[in-house]
Amino acid sequence: MAGAELHRTAPDRVGPCGSPPTRRGSYPECVADQASFVEDTQPFVGPLFGTAVRLTNNRSDAEDLVQETYLKAYRAYDSFQEGTNLRAWLFRILTNTHINRYRSASRRPQEAELDDVDNLYLYRRVGDEGISQSAEDDLMDRLTEPAVSEAVAGLPEHYRLPVLLADVEGFAYKEIAEILDVPIGTVMSRLHRGRNALQKALYDVAVDRGLLGNGTTATRP
Amino acid sequence: MTDYQHKPDCSRTVHELHTFLDREITDESRLRIQAHLDECPPCGHAFDFEAELRHVIADRLRTEVPASLAERIRAAIENAG
Repeated sequence: MAGAELHRTAPDRVGPCGSPPTRRGSYPECVADQASFVEDTQPFVGPLFGTAVRLTNNRSDAEDLVQETYLKAYRAYDSFQEGTNLRAWLFRILTNTHINRYRSASRRPQEAELDDVDNLYLYRRVGDEGISQSAEDDLMDRLTEPAVSEAVAGLPEHYRLPVLLADVEGFAYKEIAEILDVPIGTVMSRLHRGRNALQKALYDVAVDRGLLGNGTTATRP
Repeated sequence: MTDYQHKPDCSRTVHELHTFLDREITDESRLRIQAHLDECPPCGHAFDFEAELRHVIADRLRTEVPASLAERIRAAIENAG
């Protein structure tokens, strides 16, 4: 299984027990113990569930997805190297499980490109509307949970995932690259476009909900 | 809005907005951007807006976890034992 491959030792790492890797690149005396699996992985139920909700847009499906992730992780736990990045390893299994479950009918991700927008999209739109600096705080308040959820849900998955992993879970580019099994350059470009697309979506949702664009000034196309 | 985007330093700084906020840049770049933000209020304001927006987005996306989920996982693992 791909998820189990994630941290199968980089040769330059030192093992959790301080031992160098063997010539086969493993730390035999330090393999993760299935007996401690539940305890080790418990802190990540919440973050995994949060991401699962955003992937499936459905809390019941998200619970199923997280449970399946944990079962797969449990079965593969002896291939996980203790002391490496357990959180990223679990997220990778979650991501792969989701892709296999929900994309089996059409395995290729939809690569339909969004209109490219520049950085500072929302900031500039707000400026265009002549909103004062103090009113920017009001804008933040008006970006309510349903508004942000709707905007995120509308993002294509290959943008949504990196944005969630970076901006909600706080993963580094390198970790996201491992989780999604793509080069760092791809992570950066998807993050860049995904964040800008999210800002555009937030603006559109805010306008739809009457939070912005109330005829103060016409927005530029 | 303003013409600050047309200054080379400004457009370069805005271009590096995300990598700066992600702390995924070299020390040299970070210091250069920070120096620009300190002397260019429009860019500083824009970066503050973006940092706050990120904070708001992450906050709104926090999800309440069902209390039963952890127990459900534990049971599934025991059954798989």
